[in-house]
Amino acid sequence: MEWRVISLENNNAYRNMAIDEAILEHIRDKKSSPTIRFYTWKPSAVSIGRFQSMNDEVNLSRCRELGIDCVRRITGGGAVFHDTKGEITYSVIAPEDAFPKGIRETYKYVCGWVIDGLNGIGIKAEFAPINDILVNGKKISGNAQTRRDGVVLQHGTILYDLDIPTMFGVLNISKEKISDKMIKSVEERVTKVLDYAKVSQEQLYKTLLEGFTKDKKYGLGELSREEEERVLDLEANVYSTERWNFSR
Amino acid sequence: MVTGFARQKVSGGKLVSVRIEFGNSIERIEILGDFFVHPEEKLPEIEKGLLGIGVKEDEHAISERIGKLAKENGVEMIGVTPEAISSTIKMAISNGMASNKS
Repeated sequence: MEWRVISLENNNAYRNMAIDEAILEHIRDKKSSPTIRFYTWKPSAVSIGRFQSMNDEVNLSRCRELGIDCVRRITGGGAVFHDTKGEITYSVIAPEDAFPKGIRETYKYVCGWVIDGLNGIGIKAEFAPINDILVNGKKISGNAQTRRDGVVLQHGTILYDLDIPTMFGVLNISKEKISDKMIKSVEERVTKVLDYAKVSQEQLYKTLLEGFTKDKKYGLGELSREEEERVLDLEANVYSTERWNFSR
Repeated sequence: MVTGFARQKVSGGKLVSVRIEFGNSIERIEILGDFFVHPEEKLPEIEKGLLGIGVKEDEHAISERIGKLAKENGVEMIGVTPEAISSTIKMAISNGMASNKS
């Protein structure tokens, strides 16, 4: 099996989510190869999980003031602030037979690629079920997965830097989320690459690329014309619409 | 019609919320949170299957109903359980009743 790797690119939130779904559909239809892609979110954005309420989770007026896009993901999980300069996001999209059987096992398997990548810059990270990666007990990466018609999509973020005031400004973090761990501050539960390795975002991308492609046959590629057309359709008619983003 | 809302953290660290409208029985319900349900599009089927449940139904019976609906719809839940959803539903009903009285 040969993987297509789409190099690090900047996209707006709606396009990023549309690209994932368009690729998933084309792999399902056997028109595209299994794909690994890396991207950032420009402008910075908030994504919420499939089952979250946009109004509950996001401070929409603050997002409007700051020009931050808000989008609902196809995947479950929690709300994430995607700072353009503060993280790298990946997506891995491939038929189920490219992964171990089972959702939890697949999390562990793909998170292993992230861990390998971080290892390459001297960061010792570990998988923390269900869907997190920790360094010294603090979260550095969150991941989410969906499956459709025999195709797995897993995407996740690797935190490079952390703009805490903006993050707290745009997310409505509930007291229940932090209540039972006696957490006093976000610094106690979240960490970032820059705490452990003085590398550029580009260097982080390079090491992740190595981690994700280790022992794999792959080629650098881009979206097909047909995928690109579907991306435009999904971006305009799903991911940028209130109907989708405010469906809960 | 009474509206209620409850949110709690479940074991495993995920949050589940329930927003509910009810009279003598559940008329409208949304199950929200940062959990995972596979396939995702089946959560509304579970929500639909909870309509009409009496507000006095006990937590265990609601939990069994959710488990049955999950099975019928081929749903796998990760980070949430029928028990957690059921207990949040009861909390939302109770919160709704309390705020309706005040």
